[in-house]
Amino acid sequence: MKTIKDINEKIKNGDAVVLTAEEMINVVEDIGPKNGAKEVDVVTTGTFGAMCSSGVFLNFGHADPPIKMMKTYLNGVEAYSGLAAVDAYLGAAQPNSDVDIDIDYGGGHVIEDLVAGKEIQLVAEGYTTDCYPRKRASTTITIEDLNQAILLNPRNCYQTYGAATNSREEKIYTYMGALLPEYSNINYSGAGQLNPLQNDYNIKNKSYNTIGIGTKIFLGGGIGYIIGEGTQHDPEGAFGTLMVKGDLKTMNRNFLRGATIPKYGSTLFIGIGVPIPILNEDIARACGIRDEEIMVPIVDYGVPRRDRPIVSKTNYKDLRTGEITIEIREDETGKVIEKTIKTASVSSYKKSIEVAEELKRWILKGEFTLSEPVDNLGRGSNKPMKPIAKLVRDIISRPPIVATSDISITEASKILIEKNINHLPIVDNNHKLVGILTSWDIARAVAQNINSIFDIMTRQVISTTLDEPIDVVARKMSKYNISGVPVIDKNGKIIGMVTAEDLSKLLGYKKH
Amino acid sequence: MKKRMYYWVDEKYIDKPIISEAILKTKIMINILMAKIMPQESFLIIELNGNKNQINEAMDILNRYGEIEDIPKIIERKDDKCIDCGACVIHCPVKAISQDRKYNVIFDDKECIGCKNCVKICPVKAIDVFDIY
Repeated sequence: MKTIKDINEKIKNGDAVVLTAEEMINVVEDIGPKNGAKEVDVVTTGTFGAMCSSGVFLNFGHADPPIKMMKTYLNGVEAYSGLAAVDAYLGAAQPNSDVDIDIDYGGGHVIEDLVAGKEIQLVAEGYTTDCYPRKRASTTITIEDLNQAILLNPRNCYQTYGAATNSREEKIYTYMGALLPEYSNINYSGAGQLNPLQNDYNIKNKSYNTIGIGTKIFLGGGIGYIIGEGTQHDPEGAFGTLMVKGDLKTMNRNFLRGATIPKYGSTLFIGIGVPIPILNEDIARACGIRDEEIMVPIVDYGVPRRDRPIVSKTNYKDLRTGEITIEIREDETGKVIEKTIKTASVSSYKKSIEVAEELKRWILKGEFTLSEPVDNLGRGSNKPMKPIAKLVRDIISRPPIVATSDISITEASKILIEKNINHLPIVDNNHKLVGILTSWDIARAVAQNINSIFDIMTRQVISTTLDEPIDVVARKMSKYNISGVPVIDKNGKIIGMVTAEDLSKLLGYKKH
Repeated sequence: MKKRMYYWVDEKYIDKPIISEAILKTKIMINILMAKIMPQESFLIIELNGNKNQINEAMDILNRYGEIEDIPKIIERKDDKCIDCGACVIHCPVKAISQDRKYNVIFDDKECIGCKNCVKICPVKAIDVFDIY
């Protein structure tokens, strides 16, 4: 049996056999894991994707007179500085403080510009003390001016990530990219067979074979370390994550890139590669994992809840073909329909390969040796948050005041005035919602001399259900610029109304 | 054969069924890829499908009412920015973007109609599409 020490000796002597995780697949298949473990010393893995849970600790050094920085802006992006006087943490997902720039240039972009050596505008404000008399400081800096720029990412390198689709009738913008209406695309993320945690996963123990605290890695083109399991680490479910750190000053733009996920936020694409020492047969076998063996759930992001429904399952191999066929159960009819859907990656497999190959080159050249982890990763935890979410059922007034479309405009206006309401849902004989009439519609009818409810009502009604959180309803109202939303049941029958007034009343609630 | 072009219709003829005339007189098949009507002119991206004669005849008719122009190169990949993720591929309505076997994202200049769908979703702003009207 080999040890990490043995392997490092070989690396120093230029004798180590190093393969990428892609290359290892064929070796395990051709000569088996036992011989594979004899032949191969190190397998390099790689991933390159958007990792929002990333950021950089910066130390600016002291100005004269000195300032205790409390509000810190880099090119307009705020860094958290509730730390010692000149320390700050800049998060990748922080939008620009200039609302016109917003997510187009956020924390991730500043980090990229630092790495690129560009000049960055620094503005800091503080409260004054006897030892820190200065109120404001403003200057330009480059990464060279900083004492430290330490990339420290609480959650990177997801082992697998669910693919995303959208059941809604409208296009939605998510952290998984733009999702077209009615299951018209599937976006997925992840390096699959090249992913570090995937190649190191011990399925039996639901743990990791070699990766631990202190493992030396490739991070953004420089050298980094795994400092523990990442937040939301879930080895039981094969959804492990890593917390990593590295010196930003050693990294390069090839493997680290600021980005904007449209209408979602700014983020950081980063390349991470972990070397896996092939110490025994089990480790070699794990490194033979293929894209087709990695199950990927397809999740419906059209449902804006924590537990989004899984509509189907697939694997990375099929996803990478650009098109998959899945069966989807229709909500309304319960019918199962077959659908062929285009797939697109939102992470870069090409860059993932480049990461694994670059790390392989470093090791072959003897520049990078393996580290002995000081401890195993922790077991992690991925529990939900439990704020009390108010649902539509908690606030609706029932029964709703409705009308059928055969009443006159005058009758409709009487109902609105007598009942003191602004929205009148129009239903058919089965109490099914067919439209909605507002006081504004009636004003329009009078102004334009229109006599039929049918000609004036809105037919494409934005509606809600009893179990929808009121936050989702509030977002619908602001998105569609409306002030009332009918509540319908599974059969399309109206059972209540939620209005902007109902929601604004909640804001006035006193805490008990 | 297939020929794509820009077509500007002269102000005088904006309300005339010119495309129909070209189709009926030459039996050519025309696919309208983009159309925009403005007060001073209208602009179309059209694709003519037919034999050489049909295409020449159709172009003669179109030339009577406006101006034809070859589609210039309008899409450019900024190599220093593109990370070859492939997120843009499915957003192209005319299959001008593809990914090869080595996962390189490739633009086909000749196919691009300048709709900018890809520009809007690119996370690293790696695509330039030049304004055409």
